Amino acid sequence: MPKVITQAVEEYLEAIYKMSLEGPVIAARLAERMKVSPPTVADMLRRLTENGLVQVSRRHGVHLTRQGQQAAETLVRRHRLWERFLTDVLGLDWDEVHEEACKLEHAMSPQVEEKLADILGHPDTCPHGFPIPGTKGARKREREAVPLSNLCVGDEGVIERVAEEEPKLLQYLATLGLFPDARIQVKEIAPFRGPMLVRVAGSQYALGQEVASKIMVKGK
Amino acid sequence: MKPEFKIVPVSCHKTFNKLREDTDVTIALAGNPNVGKSSIFNSLTGMGVETANYPGTSVDVHVATTALNGTRIGIFDLPGTYALGAVSEDQWVARTGVLEGNPDVVVIVLDATNLARNLYLALQFMELGYPVVVALNVYDVAKREGRDIDVKKLSRLLDAPVVPTVANRGEGLKELIAAAVRAAGSGRRPEPPDTRFGQDVERRVQELTAAIAAAGLKDPHDLPYRAMALLLLENDQEYIGLTKAMPGWEPILELAAGLRRQIEAEHGQPASIRIAGERHGLAGIIASEVETAETDRQISWGERLWRYTTGPVTGVPVLLGVLGIIFVLMYFAGNGLADLLSNAWEGYVLPPVQSGLFAVIGKNAVSQSLMWIPDGFEAALTVGVPFVLVFYFVLAFLEDSGYLNSVAFLTDAVMHRFGLHGRAMIPIVAGAGCNVPAIMGTRVLTTLRERVIAGTLIVMVPCSARTAVIFGAVAFYAGWEAALGLYAIVLALWVLAGLGLNRIMPGKSTGLVMEMFSFRRPHFKTVVKKTWFRFKGFVLMAAPILIIGSLALGALYASGYLFDLVRPLSPVMEDWMGLPAVAGLALVMGILRKELTLQMLVLLAIGMGASKGVEHNLNLIMTNSQLFVFALVTAIYIPCAATITALGKELGWSRTALISGFTIGLAVLVGGLANQMFRLFG
Repeated sequence: MPKVITQAVEEYLEAIYKMSLEGPVIAARLAERMKVSPPTVADMLRRLTENGLVQVSRRHGVHLTRQGQQAAETLVRRHRLWERFLTDVLGLDWDEVHEEACKLEHAMSPQVEEKLADILGHPDTCPHGFPIPGTKGARKREREAVPLSNLCVGDEGVIERVAEEEPKLLQYLATLGLFPDARIQVKEIAPFRGPMLVRVAGSQYALGQEVASKIMVKGK
Repeated sequence: MKPEFKIVPVSCHKTFNKLREDTDVTIALAGNPNVGKSSIFNSLTGMGVETANYPGTSVDVHVATTALNGTRIGIFDLPGTYALGAVSEDQWVARTGVLEGNPDVVVIVLDATNLARNLYLALQFMELGYPVVVALNVYDVAKREGRDIDVKKLSRLLDAPVVPTVANRGEGLKELIAAAVRAAGSGRRPEPPDTRFGQDVERRVQELTAAIAAAGLKDPHDLPYRAMALLLLENDQEYIGLTKAMPGWEPILELAAGLRRQIEAEHGQPASIRIAGERHGLAGIIASEVETAETDRQISWGERLWRYTTGPVTGVPVLLGVLGIIFVLMYFAGNGLADLLSNAWEGYVLPPVQSGLFAVIGKNAVSQSLMWIPDGFEAALTVGVPFVLVFYFVLAFLEDSGYLNSVAFLTDAVMHRFGLHGRAMIPIVAGAGCNVPAIMGTRVLTTLRERVIAGTLIVMVPCSARTAVIFGAVAFYAGWEAALGLYAIVLALWVLAGLGLNRIMPGKSTGLVMEMFSFRRPHFKTVVKKTWFRFKGFVLMAAPILIIGSLALGALYASGYLFDLVRPLSPVMEDWMGLPAVAGLALVMGILRKELTLQMLVLLAIGMGASKGVEHNLNLIMTNSQLFVFALVTAIYIPCAATITALGKELGWSRTALISGFTIGLAVLVGGLANQMFRLFG
């Protein structure tokens, strides 16, 4: 069986990796996230299964195999190392580095990865606060924080970080008091997968599911 | 206090300049959304308000004047925001507005029941170096909730006057304005008050502040050095652009970037977020210093109502009930008012005008064209005024009670499919009464994409005039089942249009982020004022269009040119949709007001020998299936003149043309298909 991991494969692995932190991975949601049609995803999943990178079951959805997990972690590690490099060494701004790192992560040998980590002094986290796989306790740290959208009514937590893809949303939420280290409590969830009513400090906000899934929360 | 009256909608810049020239003291009014800022503004200024607007934004700045003991005071009301910044339209307008308006003093309205979050904005204004006066609003509610706020201490900590107010009862407003005038005399303060962040951030802010001072950078708005430093550390792109016009900027921006990175490296979050966090921290400390709250609070009726209106079992029935009530109110109260007004108009105004006109210039084409002007007035009286008035009242009532929050929360998931969010639900429902206020109501939506989708969908909601046509032409002749079928078709098209628009419109929908308030007892005076305020805006916009349109159409009709104009329509009308050519005439008239289509048909039927007053005779010119097609087309095709005007104002004329073209195309397509179906299946 050919074992060529193309860039497309890598991007799927990365997406599955990130989604599996939020909950069970369903093919249809994967299609939404990758912005492709469901048949395209089915095709790709077949290919990934043949290569032994994922397992797909009706019950548990899409799962990374050990090998797949490793490949995904390598990729995420490279992405986050690049982000560090771009901010710390090249002095790029926070909100610019995610896109750049997406391009750089695919063209990298293990040797360069190693040297990059050396230069940076083996950091634990990317500039946005996400743990870098391969460092101590990274898996545990990554799993500790769950998206706000996974919480139930009555749950409480502390905001750990807000996903970096949308700097404006990040900034807007911060002005409302939804910034890292703020305590947050789920008061209510609207029917039909509707928005969540959350309480932060003295204020109550309705957050759509999309927004809530971008806010990572740690238990109290 | 003596309010003056004038209405000149112009750009902000000119308005501000004029305001400063005309008055002795200018005050900016600022605050979070929904803290009672508009009540304060309205009470201070009465009804005489100008509205200014930055091009390309939907957020208005209201400007008005008042006087106190001979001092002429100009007030501008900034949009309600949680912060000043560049991340959202309202924040940008608030910041640009205060910088350009350069008021002598900023009055910040704080919600006494949520002091910590509200203080954030106050701190930002103080950073900018404006003298600040704090209005501690809904002081009574805070007291009732068991919050005790030490006003003197708050005033000392902020180094600014603090006046407790109860805006909707007018309490404390005189003291507030007096304090503002006094503070205005103090001039702009060179150093902002002693607000200090956490040490590691503070150190860097001070380093940059000192560097800016040493480099002698001069801000065009005279911002204090610390404010400049904060904006640069927050990586505010607009301000960085502005800085590049100041001599000696290069080392400063470099230093700012370096310090920003240091903060980011230390805290693992962008410097702007960290600074926001610091401000929240500071606000929280100040709030906890001055506030002692009783914690054992009972669940209020407001919270209980919230639970009922958003719960999965009770929420949907409540919503349907409320929508039903709106519909019934619009239908009965609106129609009742319409009858009353049109009877009065036709009984007491029209006859003398008509006989006078005919007496002066004789009964000819000119006088008959001119008669369309009073007819246009009647259109405004019978379509615009009653329905719009009733709807605005209902809307203001629901807004003031807080129910709109529940609706947004409940319907968000469904509206998401159309690329909208829950806040769009109310204007869309309102469209069933009259499209015009509904379209003006889309301002609550934040992005242009959402406003375009909502605007298109509203136009496709049959308003009360179109409902009248559907009832009069279809239900009356072919029975209610046919009318129901017609509604089903319109609903299906509506859903398809929503789904389709969400697909083809570039960009994606924003998620819902909205502050939620509990229910409040609506305040009657506020509701009436709000209703009047919006209603005035509607009349000013729609009346000229109706009058000019009436005159033009009247001239075309009276001179007979209209028949020549609709003749080219006959292939579409007759061959494709199977309608008689005269129906085309009726449809063209319907652009002015939709129920004219039916009235024209009746007129034509009378012209063909039907006895007057008996509507049964529409069958003289059309069969039942033709009437169905006709009503269907009427329900969908081009919005009426007033709606087009509203669309143009809110979305721009090219988008309005697109939407109108789309609805005409859709109407012709669907009308033709319906006709072909009738032909095939009888």
